[in-house]
Amino acid sequence: MKKKVILIIDDEPDVISYLSAVLDDVDYDIHSSDSTADGLEKARKLHPDLICLDIMMPEESGLSLYARLRRDECLATIPVIIISGMESQQEFDFRRYVGDRQIPPPERYIEKPINVEAFVATVRTLISVVPGEPDENTQRQRS
Amino acid sequence: MTKQKRKNEPEFSDWFYRDLFQQVPFNMAIIDKEYNIIEANANFTEYFGNWRGKKCYTVYKNLDYPCVGCNARLTFEDGKARVSDESGVDQFGKQAHYVVHLAPLRKRTNGPVEYIVEMSRDIIETKNWQMEYQLLFERVPCYITVIDRNYKIIRANENFRENFGDVVGRQCYEVYKKRKTQCPNCPARRTFHDGRVHHSDQVGIKKGGEKAHYLLTTAPLGRDTENIAHVIEISTDISHTKALEKEIIEAERLAAVGQTVAGLAHSIKNILMGLEGGMYIVGKGICKNDKVMLNQGWEMLERNLNKTTSLVRDFLSFSKGRLPDLVPVNPNRLAEEICELYKEIAAKIGVTLTVDLDKKITRAPLDPSGIHTCLTNLVSNAIDACRMSDKKNGEVCITTADKKGVLSFTVSDNGTGMDTEVKRKVFTTFFTTKGNQGTGLGLLTTRKIVKEHGGKISVHSKPGEGSYVTMAFPKKRLQALYEEKDSPDGTENK
Repeated sequence: MKKKVILIIDDEPDVISYLSAVLDDVDYDIHSSDSTADGLEKARKLHPDLICLDIMMPEESGLSLYARLRRDECLATIPVIIISGMESQQEFDFRRYVGDRQIPPPERYIEKPINVEAFVATVRTLISVVPGEPDENTQRQRS
Repeated sequence: MTKQKRKNEPEFSDWFYRDLFQQVPFNMAIIDKEYNIIEANANFTEYFGNWRGKKCYTVYKNLDYPCVGCNARLTFEDGKARVSDESGVDQFGKQAHYVVHLAPLRKRTNGPVEYIVEMSRDIIETKNWQMEYQLLFERVPCYITVIDRNYKIIRANENFRENFGDVVGRQCYEVYKKRKTQCPNCPARRTFHDGRVHHSDQVGIKKGGEKAHYLLTTAPLGRDTENIAHVIEISTDISHTKALEKEIIEAERLAAVGQTVAGLAHSIKNILMGLEGGMYIVGKGICKNDKVMLNQGWEMLERNLNKTTSLVRDFLSFSKGRLPDLVPVNPNRLAEEICELYKEIAAKIGVTLTVDLDKKITRAPLDPSGIHTCLTNLVSNAIDACRMSDKKNGEVCITTADKKGVLSFTVSDNGTGMDTEVKRKVFTTFFTTKGNQGTGLGLLTTRKIVKEHGGKISVHSKPGEGSYVTMAFPKKRLQALYEEKDSPDGTENK
């Protein structure tokens, strides 16, 4: 069976190494980008099953890239986990940053530093969901 | 010699004088030696009512006895005309002020005074104006003093007296500032000298010893600008505004502390992520007996520990609260110094660093070391933005300007630019877009130094086009900070 593809976009090489090592243990096909431009290019080329995205990046924030992914018909249904140390999971208010109501909130927001077990469980859940059909947790977070 | 009657000269007959007496637009009355009014004109009757059979003191002042110091009596005695200001009541009992002209009437030249004609004019309006002016001078909610050429206060209004004590006759510098000698840059002296209005910010000491900040305007009194005898000093107390300004600065400081703590937490979280990642990979390397992985994890641990050291060092440097050490410097020189310092480094990575200086700029009180740090941070950020950009010809420019009383430094680049999200965060957290290379304290430190100078920093940027960051310093605030530092007991502007 073909391995599920995960794309990690973060400008911190240590974060990429860490997340890659964690996900590699679960036997996924891991790809990474250290910039939003390269990340978008790879997303188009690989069409991954999941994207892990940082917020604070040079040139463009992760949330701007997220909005562009959601506006792209081919990429709009790929589940996205935002991973950032900017705010806690409880405080993160997507609408404060992205006012466009056409853009739905990301499937998950995970606070740095990650809890490995919870992170892996989230990845498994999102990857098992059929694209375009949000899982129960996603529905709860979006509401 | 008989006087010749001129052509068209009217016939002066009794009716003429009687009519003239009646129509003259003043109150006219004739009194005898007993102070009886024996004749009065229509104006008089209209103003004082029925006078027939009454004494002048009864009609004028509603008295039963002659006035003390009666001028009419003196005129009866010495035959001299007199003018006096009198107060009395009109026929309705209302207070009346009038000027009275007394003239003796004689039947024969050099004969005894038989009667006196009293001609009075109502000056109640003038009196009212005087009272209103007096009231205005006294009650106006600012400090007013009038000084003579010896800087002696000859008048002071109520507000001033309340705050500075009994001051008339004392030197203004002694009263305003508790000085023994004239103040340097005295605005009143300039007004005496050039006859023009001058404004200045001042700090004085009230009678209770507390400081008073006020905005002073001096103006010449009189129309002759060459020989000014008096100067009026009008000032508005802005102590309350100054206190509010301090409160606002304090509130901003507290807000900055909150933002700083949030930023610190963000930075630490990132480092923790790196440390936990390193531990995870080291653990994995041990389990798998994989030396490559072990080394990778170990390097991650080392790197993040070093980041912790850098962060703590920068944080300690940032947290050192100190007042800027302001000295008058040429802002252009500061910009040139930074340009000279970074020109070569920039050129090595293909970035051109230039200056665009406002040649008319004058020396301003700045903390050279603080501004040096700010410009260093901004220029190094701009060079980094060019390095990260795909463009081949990176350009960074330091611009100085002095417009509308605001001194500014702008550092512009044609580098990567920032999107709204990055711009929003740029001063509020320990936010870095430089991955492993930055601690995120550069712009935060810059903002702190700019605020300590009473200035503002603003960022304008477009992704892909570049950014420009402006540090703007209102010169009045710089001057006030400078003077506050130099003379805690009272100062004035040039």
